[in-house]
Amino acid sequence: MTSLLGGVFLGWSLGANDAANVFGTAVSSRMIKFWTAAILASCFVLAGALLGGQSGIETLKGLTRFTYDQAIIASIAAACTVTIMTLFGLPVSTSQAVVGAILGVGILNRQLNFAGLGKVVVCWVGTPVGGIVLGIIIYKLLAAVANSMNLNIFQSDILLRLCLIIAGSYGAYALGANNVANVTAVFVGAGMLSTSAAALVGGLSIGLGILTFSKKVMETVGQKLVRLDPFSALAVVLAQAITVHIYALVGVPVSTSQAVIGAVLGVGIIKGVNTIQRRTLVHIVLAWFITPLVASVLALSIDFATHLRYIPG
Amino acid sequence: MIKFLFKKERQFQELIFKYLDNLKKTQEHFEKAMDCYFDFGLGENCDFLIAQTHKFESRADDLRNDIIEMMYSKVLIPESRGDIFRLLESLDLILNHFEAVLFMIQGQKIKIPKFIVPDLREFIRVSLECCDLVFRQVEAYFKKTEDIKALVSTIDSHESRCDHLEREIVSKIFDSDMGPFPKMQFKELVGQIGEISDQADRVSRSVYIINIKRRV
Repeated sequence: MTSLLGGVFLGWSLGANDAANVFGTAVSSRMIKFWTAAILASCFVLAGALLGGQSGIETLKGLTRFTYDQAIIASIAAACTVTIMTLFGLPVSTSQAVVGAILGVGILNRQLNFAGLGKVVVCWVGTPVGGIVLGIIIYKLLAAVANSMNLNIFQSDILLRLCLIIAGSYGAYALGANNVANVTAVFVGAGMLSTSAAALVGGLSIGLGILTFSKKVMETVGQKLVRLDPFSALAVVLAQAITVHIYALVGVPVSTSQAVIGAVLGVGIIKGVNTIQRRTLVHIVLAWFITPLVASVLALSIDFATHLRYIPG
Repeated sequence: MIKFLFKKERQFQELIFKYLDNLKKTQEHFEKAMDCYFDFGLGENCDFLIAQTHKFESRADDLRNDIIEMMYSKVLIPESRGDIFRLLESLDLILNHFEAVLFMIQGQKIKIPKFIVPDLREFIRVSLECCDLVFRQVEAYFKKTEDIKALVSTIDSHESRCDHLEREIVSKIFDSDMGPFPKMQFKELVGQIGEISDQADRVSRSVYIINIKRRV
């Protein structure tokens, strides 16, 4: 059980950070109470992990062969990468950290599934692009529906709030389905867990992160996202959720933050406003390179350190 | 189920409509007080109606505070809260102008010369019609019952008529052989009455903007 701690920690930090992408909008604008959001998010994350997390797990475990020790090294390297880069305020994505760590293990094994790796990298680039495209389409669709409904302020506010709860719950489901592979796929690769057990452990640890540590992130990170009006925020959450869910079906874990940034950019294009700073876009591109690099170097270093032997002089 | 979930929103909605009813009641009492003043001058009846107008104005303040308190305890989305807050503040100014007119007449014991009474009656009638339309527009905004844009132009034309009447009355006052002090006093009173339609016009425009803002 202790050997799973690296993965559980990774899941916990993922839950604490990424719940803001699905419910941050609603919570930071005080449209939904934190505890309502946290309980819904953790339940739907678990449901997503159990019902839709298998294909992501299959993809990641297929990137290389794992031994028991290497699975632990990969999960610790990924968790350390996320922690270090967060502490230094550098752009980070859990999905990219995990793949980087697996890459490190693959280098050690001199065995890498390049086809699988190529699919993963293409999906990384496709995440913000998908966010942009879906952001535009969803905003236009929702706007057409909202304008045709002729609702009064009370009706439209209630409907918007309900839609944010539904979109947030769906986002949490997509988060669980897509990102659970990041947490426990390496243990499945090493034969330590079955796929369904990995989905359960991963889903529970993400849910735990949401319940115990996501409040502050939801309130602060959420506010950064909600420079948009609540209607645009709804379009962003929905576009992000669909993007992430599509990649969950494809079986590639992606960054929910990058999907959100893409969706915000898409809505900004429609509204003719500059919603994202150039710096944020540079950060995404940097994250594609730096995060896997740091994670693979860490995985190699940890492996090297574990093989050091003390030889008395 | 949804009714149970959004109980607070329903209570808030009821409070808003209670506030709108109270606006109308304040206006009704202002109208009665002015009619009483024009017909019988200042006296017990008029004082009672002025006190009633003040009572309804104070109740409007209390209701407005309840609405704001409820609104900021997580009812409505944040954007709507700011809009409603500004709208209530703006509506409240109309009631303050009603009260200010009555208090000016009562406090300064103003006696209106007969030659401007018909014009003043007309001025107040059009001003109150303007307020009626604004209250209808605000209600339409909350209930989505009729076209807000059409009401804006009607209110605007009423306000222009009020401006015209105001200038006419002031001109009549200064053409008369009254002393300079009563002239200034009546001019001030007419200006204060003119504020009613001006404020109604401002509210109408802000309702229009709030409504446009909500379109996606």
